[in-house]
Amino acid sequence: MSAVLKRNNVKVFGRGQTPMIFAHGYGCDQNMWRFITPAFEDRYKIVLFDHIGHGHSDAAAFDPAQYGSLNGYADDVLAICRELDLTDAVFVGHSVSAMIGVLAAIREPERFAQLVLIGPSPRYIDDGDYVGGFKREDIEGLLDFLDSNHLGWSSTMAPVIMANPERPELGEELTNSFCRTDPDIAKHFARVTFLSDNRADLPLVKTRALILQCSHDAIAPEAVGRYMHQNLPGSEFIQLSATGHCPNLSAPEETIAAMEAFLRDPAPVKAVA
Amino acid sequence: MKMDQGSLIETAEELYESAPCGYLSTLPDGTIIRANQTFLTWIGMDRQDLVGHTCFQDLLSVGAKIFYDTHLTPLLRMQGFVNEIAVDLTCTDGRVLPVLANMVQKGDANGRPMVHRITLFNATDRRKYERELLLARQKAEQATEELKRLNETLEERVTEEVAERLKAEEALRQAQKMEAIGQLTGGIAHDFNNLLTIIVGNIELLQRRLPEGSDRLQRAATHAMEATRRAATLTQRLLAFSRRQPLDPKPIDVNKLVAGMSDLLRRTLGEVVVLETVLGGGLWRSQADPNQLENAILNLAVNARDAMPDGGKLTIETANARLDEAYVEVLAEPVPPGQYVLVAVSDTGSGMDKATMERVFEPFFTTKEVGKGTGLGLSQVYGFVRQSNGHVRIYSELGEGTTIKVYLPRLIGSDEEPAEMPAKNPAMVRGMGETILVVEDEPDLRTYTTEALRDLGYRVLEAGDGQGALDIVAEHPEIDLLFTDVVLAGGMNGRALSDEVSRRRPGLPVLYTTGYTQNAIVHHGRLDPGMHLIGKPFTYAELASKVRRMLDGDHL
Repeated sequence: MSAVLKRNNVKVFGRGQTPMIFAHGYGCDQNMWRFITPAFEDRYKIVLFDHIGHGHSDAAAFDPAQYGSLNGYADDVLAICRELDLTDAVFVGHSVSAMIGVLAAIREPERFAQLVLIGPSPRYIDDGDYVGGFKREDIEGLLDFLDSNHLGWSSTMAPVIMANPERPELGEELTNSFCRTDPDIAKHFARVTFLSDNRADLPLVKTRALILQCSHDAIAPEAVGRYMHQNLPGSEFIQLSATGHCPNLSAPEETIAAMEAFLRDPAPVKAVA
Repeated sequence: MKMDQGSLIETAEELYESAPCGYLSTLPDGTIIRANQTFLTWIGMDRQDLVGHTCFQDLLSVGAKIFYDTHLTPLLRMQGFVNEIAVDLTCTDGRVLPVLANMVQKGDANGRPMVHRITLFNATDRRKYERELLLARQKAEQATEELKRLNETLEERVTEEVAERLKAEEALRQAQKMEAIGQLTGGIAHDFNNLLTIIVGNIELLQRRLPEGSDRLQRAATHAMEATRRAATLTQRLLAFSRRQPLDPKPIDVNKLVAGMSDLLRRTLGEVVVLETVLGGGLWRSQADPNQLENAILNLAVNARDAMPDGGKLTIETANARLDEAYVEVLAEPVPPGQYVLVAVSDTGSGMDKATMERVFEPFFTTKEVGKGTGLGLSQVYGFVRQSNGHVRIYSELGEGTTIKVYLPRLIGSDEEPAEMPAKNPAMVRGMGETILVVEDEPDLRTYTTEALRDLGYRVLEAGDGQGALDIVAEHPEIDLLFTDVVLAGGMNGRALSDEVSRRRPGLPVLYTTGYTQNAIVHHGRLDPGMHLIGKPFTYAELASKVRRMLDGDHL
């Protein structure tokens, strides 16, 4: 397996030709797509991966400077696309990975035919008239919470935190087996994510995009989804009845149906000034 | 007391309500549909206000709420449960209660989530302990990192340290060498001066007593005298190097001094060397012995001239300068940081290499051919400047030339006018029968001095030590002048004697003499104000002039 595919724990399966690449958001790993991919694997070539420091990626490849902005993560997405020679792919990004997909599509548009953006936000912190949903001190509160809870979070984090290479079984025995994260990298990713501001990038997108907006989503409120829709040229907007931030987990059927409708619709990109 | 058997066994409700943990049931969107009393007590809410109206995640701190949405819920959806996830509850009174959450998701027959059962444990103490652990781990990591870094740079640091140490040792060695040479030369010069004083005196005596017509003998005596004077000049320079020459520092205007030397310098330099003087404006005054500064500048000029046998340019510059702490810190022979008056003498000559530069201030070190130089010029400069609390620095490049910079301390807070150059040729003046007490522990010198003074027309009393002198003072109230060596044998030095005599005979003038001094009268070679000194070897004429002026009350 190539270095890139190993680094990001890339998994490829499915019986179709059209690539469909799934990017998990902050706090999760590729497991979060487990209820969605079965609906597409007959017709698509499914590509799953873990961001650096998440899941079974190679945490040693993490470099704080390289991943100092979302562009570093977009680099990885493009590297995976190049490695697998993907073009005209469907990119499905959750939460912060929606914006990572946007950045990747701006840089190499030929790679992506459609973007499915689930709970996207171009900026989480309020700014003048712009409502992101958070104040800066809220984000500081999150970072502090993560800091003070690395050990409390132990059932998830233990394999990393205990740093006990002589006893790997300690990690395996733990009950919360999904979404393992390196705490330092996770904190860095949280900072990069919640302090990001990619509003200026939205008008540069040429790829057809779908915005999936949940109800009562504290992370990406409806106002943010509307802003995305207004500023992302030719985007489509679907309001889900699913609540929370992870409709792919809490309401997979509704999410799949919305995706199917969008992917079936051959409507070309609308011209937007 | 008789109790109902049933009341001894706790009911399920009792267990539920008063368990040492919080129990909650919520809908998949978080809405609380049941809570036990323990939880209500923790959070400070009534059941009716909470149940059906509030989402569990809305009771969390902002950070915990984000964590709930991004981590906890996805985990719960994927694996059906979560164990021991840390979250912070915000209570109605504003307190934050750290808890550990266990959650189970119950679904319908199709696996669709219906309800969450949540168990919460108060984790206040555990969280504190975890925080301590985390800090300890961070500290351990930092220490490891630091250790690693130290190890990686160990070799480099050892090399640096050794180089630094070697440099300091080299500087110390250089300073010690100069000090040792200084002691040696100072000692030799002192003894020589005593001998020269006797030789000079006796030649003068011969010259005066030789019968008329004995021209050949007169010529011989004159040659002997000239050679003796040259020897005296040499010992003077040796003393200068050893920083033991008696200095008479006065406020001086260095610009004026340099300007006054220009004729002398031009004559010294000859026609092939062009002299340029660049005198700094607003130059501070300094405090130094003007005669010795002239000597120093002349020595530097002669050296520069000799470095330019085919001609060149000699530049003398003056300027105000500041030596900062960083500069003086690294000097082998430190001076205090502060303001200095700079005299820089530069030539366009052959320059010198590093080995030469290191030895150039040593007495008798010379690069000139045998017979061309004494090797005492720069050592005089060095000794004089150091003794004047100044600093001297050489900059030289082979083939490019040399600059020697002399820094003299700025004189602060004195309105005294700069001294004019002292008269060079004291007039021969005679005594008028005044009584002089001569105190000198060296018998030959004492004999010479007393004979010279008697010859000059004075009445002379003599003593070999301080106590003898005091006895004589007691018996002879007619004494007009005390003439004493600074260093005396027998426990009382010249200064102590002078103090005692002044106590008994206030106003009695005192004239000191010395080969070199490092004692009470002269602090580090400097005369105290109002004290008078005649350096050895002194000539008959110098003695005559000095004594006369002391007696006349004309002390300058």
